[in-house]
Amino acid sequence: MTDSSRQRVALALAINGRRHRVTIEPSTTLLDLLRDELGLFGTKKGCDMGACGACTVLVDGRRINACLALAVMQEGRDVQTIEGLAEGEALHPLQQAFVEHDALQCGYCTPGQIMSALGLIGEGRATDAAGIAEQMSGNLCRCGAHPNIVAAIAAYAGA
Amino acid sequence: MMLREDRSPRRYEAALKVRGAARFTAEIPVASMLHAALVLSPLPSGRVGRIDAGEALALPGIVRVLTHAEMPRIDRPGVLIPLQGPDVHHAGQPVALVAATTPAAARRGAASVEVAYERRPAILNLADGEPFAPKTAGRTATDSRRGDPETALRQAEVAIGRRYTTATNNHHPMEPQCVTAQWDGERLTVLTTTQAVFAHRLAIAECFGLRPEDVRIVSHYLGGGFGAKGGAWFPHLVMAIAAARVLGRPLRLELTREQMFTLTGRRQETVQDLKLGATKDGRLTAIVHESLAPTSMFGEYADALATVTRVLHACPNVATRQRLARVNAPQPNPARAPGEGPGSFALESALDELAYELDLDPLELRLRNIAAHDQHVDLPWSSNGLRECYRAGAASFGWARRPMRPGSLREGHQAIGIGMAAACYPAYRMASEAAVGIGADGRVKVRCGTQDMGSGTYTVLAQLAAEALGMSYAEVDVELGDSLLPEGPYSGGSMATASFTPAVETAARDLRGRLLALASADAASPLAGIAPERMSIADGMIRSGNRSEPVSELVARRAPQGLEARAGAAPEARPDFSAFGFGAVFAEVRVDSDLGEVRVSRLTAAYAAGRILNPLLARSQFVGGLIWGVGMALHEATVMDPHLGRVVGTSLADYLIPVHADMPAFDIHMVEEDEPRLGSGGVKGIGMLGTVGTAAAIANAVFHATGRRVRDLPIRVEHLLRPD
Amino acid sequence: MHAFDYARATEPSQALDLARRPDAAFIAGGTDLLQLWKAGIARPELMIDISRLALDIVKPRDDGIAIGALARLSDVADHPIVQARWPLIAEALNAGASAQVRNAATIGGNLLQRTRCAYFRSGDMPCNKRAPGSGCPAIGGENRSHAIFGGSPHCVATHASDLAVALAALDASVRVAGPAGSRLVGIGDFYLLPGDTPQRETVLGQGQLICAVDVPATAGRAAYVKVRDRASFEFAVVSVAADLVIDDGIVARARLAAGGVGTRPWRLTEAEAALIGERADAAAFDKAAAQASNGAEPLAHNAFKVELLRRTVRRALQVAGGKA
Repeated sequence: MTDSSRQRVALALAINGRRHRVTIEPSTTLLDLLRDELGLFGTKKGCDMGACGACTVLVDGRRINACLALAVMQEGRDVQTIEGLAEGEALHPLQQAFVEHDALQCGYCTPGQIMSALGLIGEGRATDAAGIAEQMSGNLCRCGAHPNIVAAIAAYAGA
Repeated sequence: MMLREDRSPRRYEAALKVRGAARFTAEIPVASMLHAALVLSPLPSGRVGRIDAGEALALPGIVRVLTHAEMPRIDRPGVLIPLQGPDVHHAGQPVALVAATTPAAARRGAASVEVAYERRPAILNLADGEPFAPKTAGRTATDSRRGDPETALRQAEVAIGRRYTTATNNHHPMEPQCVTAQWDGERLTVLTTTQAVFAHRLAIAECFGLRPEDVRIVSHYLGGGFGAKGGAWFPHLVMAIAAARVLGRPLRLELTREQMFTLTGRRQETVQDLKLGATKDGRLTAIVHESLAPTSMFGEYADALATVTRVLHACPNVATRQRLARVNAPQPNPARAPGEGPGSFALESALDELAYELDLDPLELRLRNIAAHDQHVDLPWSSNGLRECYRAGAASFGWARRPMRPGSLREGHQAIGIGMAAACYPAYRMASEAAVGIGADGRVKVRCGTQDMGSGTYTVLAQLAAEALGMSYAEVDVELGDSLLPEGPYSGGSMATASFTPAVETAARDLRGRLLALASADAASPLAGIAPERMSIADGMIRSGNRSEPVSELVARRAPQGLEARAGAAPEARPDFSAFGFGAVFAEVRVDSDLGEVRVSRLTAAYAAGRILNPLLARSQFVGGLIWGVGMALHEATVMDPHLGRVVGTSLADYLIPVHADMPAFDIHMVEEDEPRLGSGGVKGIGMLGTVGTAAAIANAVFHATGRRVRDLPIRVEHLLRPD
Repeated sequence: MHAFDYARATEPSQALDLARRPDAAFIAGGTDLLQLWKAGIARPELMIDISRLALDIVKPRDDGIAIGALARLSDVADHPIVQARWPLIAEALNAGASAQVRNAATIGGNLLQRTRCAYFRSGDMPCNKRAPGSGCPAIGGENRSHAIFGGSPHCVATHASDLAVALAALDASVRVAGPAGSRLVGIGDFYLLPGDTPQRETVLGQGQLICAVDVPATAGRAAYVKVRDRASFEFAVVSVAADLVIDDGIVARARLAAGGVGTRPWRLTEAEAALIGERADAAAFDKAAAQASNGAEPLAHNAFKVELLRRTVRRALQVAGGKA
């Protein structure tokens, strides 16, 4: 399947600790690489314009919007997605906190919320509920799970 | 009575969703599938002329460009199925569909199609349209009248008349609408984001002249709906199915966020005139509620703006009148608390204004006007917990400490205000079937062709079966979202749970009876010979006295293929009571008195909405509804250019919905009600109720903070800037 | 979504060489460029990846700080020296976008982000900035978010960057590299008024690159006040950056810049002048704030910004003046 006469480019990167080598169109976003090329559908496409956060992943530990990143620019990087969190049957404790606090309804924004929260905790900013809410504001939710999301993050982070 | 949330079963499918493993529609591949992209009209009114697809067809990956010339005719009055003709009725209407081997190729193709248009005159603003009376307003009558409201207004000791407006809103579920249509001769399989697998099955069968049983609709997980994945999505669903038939290959159409502003419905803007008359001691004597809202050039839909006005407060003289005017804009449709949300903004704001006219506490005014029965239909309530909601909400919120005078409370730059409003929403039901079965492995299976939009349908289906059978929640599997299942209700109007609950409970009780009879009649069972009515099932064990047997062993021995019971339930044709859920919402806002920024700091709400199946998930639903009220009050507005007829700002960076930092502290109270007369098993529905009254409570709080009455939503800084 | 070729630059000189093609674009964070590309507004034939160039260094000096153009917004906002000595920059950065965008977006890209005017962003509505000569529907249409300063009959779009407002108040300079070498441009000269060429927004020529932003040292007290329609993740309705030097209770230097009101980051020179030599008290702040909107040319839906700007200036002065 070729979309254009453009060059295709080789790309090597790690996703959830596993090395991947792919050949892609340069215009492929990281989000489309994950979903369309690799079948990793846990990372969601909510707006494709960086305005909803549903596609949040960690690249070298930092949370970014995968829809606003070119895949080819992630050469050599370490990408973490929602699929990399649970250990077999055992949920990651933050995932478990989301279940316990009913921090999801439709579940479409949920992977992005969880990855964003992990990024936030890595940044050392999950200090109190108000701070968590401010720093999580790049992740929209339309069902209205917000207070439970913040409660789940605070419980996991010990804030 | 407080319900214990911490003992509630957790969301059935939560583990799957937190893993990102729940497969939404766009994530299910179909072999040899093509991808569609749409060419949209930039004009709000016109006629499509020559369409030049030459450049698009020359691009790699493009398979075909379909226009109205190539599409089969589909006769479906009242909706605009795109690509059925050359006429353009709103900007953003699809005029061509590009099918390609990849989504990116399809989008590039769509950008390359050249379309010539003949421009036609357009009506772009509600004020320019010709008002007319729609056949219905939602599920209610367009107009209503009791008593003599005009005379009562003239003679009222105190009367007010005010105009309120609300903005166009879009639903914006986080998951974009998607359909994958696959034809196999005269059989059709449709994977789609739908709130109504059965209603869509029937309508699609009608459109294509198929037998309903030859159409299968699948929707296992829905990333939100809120009204946008029902009738509003239907025309584009049909377009994609028709295109797949022409192409002779499976086709997927996934909307972009931008297209969700024009192709999936919208909450209509409203202009509402409210007149209230009252005695000096605060008894309502007259209400007149007149409204105007837009509909499209081709369809007719009116939100039920007057429902709350007709029933919420006691008043002998009430007239309501709802009008539409046609504009060249996308078709409005129901959005969470359709009508009741914007309508209650007008009514409950006006109540607050009346309270200030009377110098009477706004809660006290409402307490003096509790309706003893439903005066609109002149029937008794099945129950009305409004007084208890007022009491519980006010006590928890600390309403009694509120000073009456606006502008009384300050902290630094912040003016603090508190306001309240009442809420109600009709307890609707529709017919539903369900099946409950048990396998030789002892696992229970509930099957019901309804959907879960995120509202907790999987969870309550499992709970209902587990409780009625005496099995544990963890032993239940649920199948939903497939028209091959027993016919379930659609997910809308807060009616899904009320509709399937009696069917599931009846089926489960039937199954339970069959299990007990089986044990009684089975010589190999320790329970042989014991009358079924002397047995019980708990924790998966059938017991009688000191004899017992696990259900799973009985089933494995006597029904190795498993057992299943099916049941149906339908609403009463003419109930002799009126059923509503009620609520009271209390808001605290903080307004920057220099800069005009409004933030909601606290929301306390109390709801009496029948039997609550899962307090944890119910609380989530109420909070979600309240957040929609916050959005309606402060953030959400779909803006139309007055000359171009186009949406101005088509991203989620333009259309603001509340974010985490906007969240107030929530305090939710559920007043449990015993509703033996409701055929729904006592369930009234809760999804809409949180959005009713909330915008008014916030606007009333803004008035209390600032003395400034804002009658136009959303409330923005410019409404609150005025010289001190 | 126009297809493009891709080249990764390893040296600035290589990036400049590649950019001789007139249809090439630099990409680093990509958070704005990819939005523009998806909307069909940016249609580069070649994307030059400059994200791995060593231009991400934040270098404090005695007389100021040089912030590499490729430094990420979050890294600059978190930099302890920026926080200690240029808190205005940290505040402005943290007030903008989302954590995800701040982690990806770069300083240079932030300064070059294009307007949020919805007519411009639509991709196919008339817009003189995107399609010169097609008209400006905002002027007679929906213009709540548009400029009250610096507009022309061709364009009234505001500049969206919070950072640029802070840098305008700090008299920063932009270090620009091109084939002919590098030059330093004051931020006040960097952005162009729309005039009759609204498609030209900066003095940056094709193939030129921002290398760094130089910010002089300041002894001032700073405040960044941003008014917005929701509590976070939202562009400014109006924002004000203030940098006040107060000696013995007297205003020795005042620098004020505003966002959300101008077609470029807008210095409020009359309000500044009204402060110099005055006692730093509420009366002086009120008097200066009253001058903030002089010369404003409001449109049908943004007239409230005239008063809102005055109030935002007053708040910024109160906050800055109240700092020790």
